[in-house]
Amino acid sequence: MISYGPIIFGLIFGLILGTQIKTNYIKDTKFTRSSYVIITIVAILMASLGEFPFYTRLPLSSALVSAFVGIMLSKFIFARSN
Amino acid sequence: MSQILKLIALPISIILMCMGVMTILGGHITPGGGFQGGAMIASGVILSILVYGIGNSPLEFSHTYIEVLESVGALGYIVLGLVGLFAGGFFLYNVGTDLNNVVPAFIQTIFHYPDVSNAGIIPYLNIFVGLKVFVGLSAIIIAFAGFKKLTEEDVD
Repeated sequence: MISYGPIIFGLIFGLILGTQIKTNYIKDTKFTRSSYVIITIVAILMASLGEFPFYTRLPLSSALVSAFVGIMLSKFIFARSN
Repeated sequence: MSQILKLIALPISIILMCMGVMTILGGHITPGGGFQGGAMIASGVILSILVYGIGNSPLEFSHTYIEVLESVGALGYIVLGLVGLFAGGFFLYNVGTDLNNVVPAFIQTIFHYPDVSNAGIIPYLNIFVGLKVFVGLSAIIIAFAGFKKLTEEDVD
């Protein structure tokens, strides 16, 4: 049985946080799409801790994955312009 | 700051924020909770502001954003407490779990967190506290960085 609480609220939290990530102001460095691919791989590695409280039912932590998906979604949908 | 720091700070900030959200959402069954998770999210924001500077940081919150989230955090906590007061007789009574069997079933269903544990309103309280703490700590750092910038301008 999948717990829907961490998935729903992680996504909402991620959507709230991701709206404020704006990379247009950064000087000397540019974040391309390949940078976000690397960040995604690192996030999946971090999430491989497993889902709490048992850590064995799912291979990935659903809260971390849904928060990451929320951050990326809202970063690319809402935070594109200044 | 150096080029390497600028390359690595934003990815670390994003991962830190994800870990903070995970800590908040596991607060009722694992060590951690709203305050700790909120502080972890704020640490991501602080790292970003320290490395990129206050004007160029990719993670910089507007006044309205801070104001709205802070208010939602505080009001949500109070509203959950008042629901417990009116439905169960005590302020912050856990209407989702209802140990005294005094709350109607539909209210219990509404405030029951969809999880394997029977935690009731505790995860919701963690979420509201997490929102408030992350915005509050970020606001303090943004204000400090802004004051420093003002002082430098005065000296110049």
